[in-house]
Amino acid sequence: MGGKTDVWQGTLALMVLRTLETLGAMHGYGLARRIEQTSGDLLELNYGTLYPALLKLEQEGFIRSHWGVSDNNRRAKYYELTKGGQRQAKKAAAEWEQTTAILARFLAPAEEA
Amino acid sequence: MMTRKLRAFGLRLRGLFGGAREDSDFNDELAAHIEMHTEDGIRAGLTREEARRQALIRLGGMEQTRQAYRERRSLPWLENLLRDARYALRGFRRNPVFTITVIATLALGIGATTAVFSVVDRILFRSLPYAHDDRIVSVGLVQSLEKQEFMLGGFFYEWRDNQRPFEAIASQGTMLHACDLVETNPAQLNCIHAQAGFLPLLGISPALGRNFLPEEDRPNGPRVALISYGLWQDHYNRDPGILNRMIDLDGSPARVIGVLPRGFELPTLQAPDVMLPMALNEGLERKALPGTPMRAFARLRTGVSIAQGKAELEPLFTHTRDTLIPAEIRKDFHLGIRSLRDRETQDVRLTAWILLASVMAVLLIACANVAGLMMARAEARERELAVRSALGASRGRLIRQTLTEAALLSFAGAVVGLILAEGLLRVFLALAPTGIPFLGRSGLDFRIALFTILLSLVCGALFGLLPALQMPRAVALAARPIHSRQRTLLRRSLVVGQIAITMVLLSGAALLLKSLQNIEQQTLGMQTQGVLTARIALPGFRYDTGQKKMAFYLLAEAALKRLPGIRAVSFTDSVPPGGWNSGRRYSDLAAQGKPQSAQGTGGSVVSRVVTPDYFRALNIPIVQGRNFTEEDRTSSEHLVVLSRLLTSRLFPGEDPIGKRMRTGHDGPWNTVVGVAENVKNNGLTEQDEPEFYSLRRSAAEDWGPPAPVMIVDAALPPKAVAPWVRSQIAGIDPTVPVKMETLSQSVSKLADRPRFQTALLGFFAFCGLLMAVIGLYAVMAFGAAQRTQEIGLRMALGATRLQILRLIAGEGVRLIVLGGVLGLGAALASVQLLKSLLYNVEPHDPFLYAAAMLLLALVALAATLIPARSAMRTDPLAALRWE
Repeated sequence: MGGKTDVWQGTLALMVLRTLETLGAMHGYGLARRIEQTSGDLLELNYGTLYPALLKLEQEGFIRSHWGVSDNNRRAKYYELTKGGQRQAKKAAAEWEQTTAILARFLAPAEEA
Repeated sequence: MMTRKLRAFGLRLRGLFGGAREDSDFNDELAAHIEMHTEDGIRAGLTREEARRQALIRLGGMEQTRQAYRERRSLPWLENLLRDARYALRGFRRNPVFTITVIATLALGIGATTAVFSVVDRILFRSLPYAHDDRIVSVGLVQSLEKQEFMLGGFFYEWRDNQRPFEAIASQGTMLHACDLVETNPAQLNCIHAQAGFLPLLGISPALGRNFLPEEDRPNGPRVALISYGLWQDHYNRDPGILNRMIDLDGSPARVIGVLPRGFELPTLQAPDVMLPMALNEGLERKALPGTPMRAFARLRTGVSIAQGKAELEPLFTHTRDTLIPAEIRKDFHLGIRSLRDRETQDVRLTAWILLASVMAVLLIACANVAGLMMARAEARERELAVRSALGASRGRLIRQTLTEAALLSFAGAVVGLILAEGLLRVFLALAPTGIPFLGRSGLDFRIALFTILLSLVCGALFGLLPALQMPRAVALAARPIHSRQRTLLRRSLVVGQIAITMVLLSGAALLLKSLQNIEQQTLGMQTQGVLTARIALPGFRYDTGQKKMAFYLLAEAALKRLPGIRAVSFTDSVPPGGWNSGRRYSDLAAQGKPQSAQGTGGSVVSRVVTPDYFRALNIPIVQGRNFTEEDRTSSEHLVVLSRLLTSRLFPGEDPIGKRMRTGHDGPWNTVVGVAENVKNNGLTEQDEPEFYSLRRSAAEDWGPPAPVMIVDAALPPKAVAPWVRSQIAGIDPTVPVKMETLSQSVSKLADRPRFQTALLGFFAFCGLLMAVIGLYAVMAFGAAQRTQEIGLRMALGATRLQILRLIAGEGVRLIVLGGVLGLGAALASVQLLKSLLYNVEPHDPFLYAAAMLLLALVALAATLIPARSAMRTDPLAALRWE
């Protein structure tokens, strides 16, 4: 798969949770950039789609937000994981690993199977 | 996970009502995002403008992002729905007459249908509380004196052994009888006898314990009893140790072996407190002629219809009849088989069907009305819809808007309708005569409520949608709304249909009203004012001989006669004009010295056993001869008074006084002492029957069962007399219960059913009329409004106001005449249904139909004249400038 990949729904939520888990509190722009970096710039995020995803996670109680001040003295909205969010990050990651492991067996070269 | 989704849903629901603050919050967040992104771009060496442009591109557009965020923040579909609803409500507020009319129409339709259906459902449709209730039949003999199937011991065993159509057949006793529970907490109960096979036949098993064993259903078997759930609950406090307890019934012990299920009723719709084995002696019954009377029920084999069963049973019936019934009355006996439902609901099924049909007619009118109103409204808004569609509203959006309106109206109509239904049901129950089975237990049926609500929704939506579906039409934007011929035709047909149905309802109501009037205003041949009847239930086990009973009654008579203001006190076994009486066949009567009457039974003859004061108490004139006297009571002679009708049949053209007649072949000869005027003696609506009165002498044999009824004629109002009567009877024996009623009450009760039918049909006719008139008015007013310009033009060209009036009203008159004539035809065609409910009314009485037509025409004309009058007053100048 060449070029940059669109982020499909669902995995974006997991990426947000994992990123917040490692970074702690972060604003939307920072999150978007960080996700792109982590992906080794393979992903090109449409930043606008991040905000409804954040809102959904917040509505579900996995993250919470508050207004804070950024590094260069700018007012920004910060997101961080709740207790439930931390649990969810682990759970979703485990599930995802399992899914990819299963898929990996199918994608393995035929003679090895 | 579910709770998280719910939490999110709750927050989004709340988002519907937030808005401004959250919007600005998100705008700030976005602004910060763009700003940070732009600064990063500048740091990377871009110009500010270029950096900002890049930031916006990567975001995917400000407005798009805001839109996506908004959709996530709340529930977009719900938001749209609420917007539609708000828009609809604004529209309704602008047009309150339309709104109230539609809601009232829907409420009437939904309310009346739900209430009536709740009442008739159990009578017509609901299954009976027995297993295989569709195969259970009432089977037995019928004859002119007893039209309900009955069984006799001799027949029963022959049939049980030789019949083919039934899986099972079993009997209960003919009626509930009073029995006394004798213990520290005594009670008078209703007992019934039943065979061991009776409960299994119905598929009923006791809630506790077991059914009778075959050996308990034999003479001199162990005495056992099943008690009702109610008795167990109320009298024994649900004592789990009730089984095997010995209870004392009428002075002899019986073992309780089971408790009947809660709410158990016999197929005769009575609820017994105690069920005892019938314990017939089969050998004796087979020999006895004709044997113990009982009510038999049977379960048909699968696949056997009632008609087939009857045909299969007929030879057996003929055989047993010819062996067991004496030849001279044999012809009067027939085989009777009816489904259990027919047996239970008797003649109320017709009433129920008529109610259902009329309420369906009302529902139809309501639907037509709503349809017409919605169409008129939609057409009036054609331009508004066209404008909205031109401004970019999609067709789906417009349809959704219309559906929302219809749903809102239906919902409001349903709420009001259900309240109305509850009220109507209470009115029905209050009005309803006793003896309509199941009525007391009716509750609102919400399945039906739902059905009617859906139906009304469909009516409203369908017709409301018609114009929206044809939308958007460019023509609709034209300066003048285009008159659609098809829709006008449809709307007019709706009105014609409404008027026609109303005409049917009105003429039905007129017929019933006339019939009720005939019933209530007929002469009874006796006085009812100030007459009181008292039924005294003497406990059978203490008053066990005729002598003891007579002593009690004679004491009571003497005590009451001493009271001031009491004019007459008499005992009889039955009281006219309706209810039970002891009947005879005319062919059983014989006049001395005359041959027995020829073929046939000659119909029924009423017989009463009365004390001399009977004729004075009811003010029945003696037209010939004399009344019984006090001295006659102690004589050994058998004396009778004949009714004028019986005299004319038994002694045509002769002087009957001193002649003798008897009943049966071996009865004592009775001497005729007088002739009394005829009284209404076969209910209020049936042909009078011949009648004879035997003297109730002061001899023990004349006071056996049935228990006599006391008739008291007082100069004072019954209200004042009743407590005296009670205290006098209590003075003789304080434990006997006394049931008192004025004769006027019991006569009025006989007219309860026709009154009920008339009231309901009248109410439906009124509703129908009201709605049809509303529908007509709406069409006329709408038509007139659409022709405002034309009217103005005509007036400007010299048409007089009268001509304008004629122009507008003429259309209404055409609709009324067409609908009326169609309705008249339908009414004449369907009147056969009502025929059996009518008393002394010619079903095609032209006067009644003319009256119904006139009423309809007058009211409908008023509905057309109002819009016509306002059209007539149109100012031609204003009209030409219209639009």
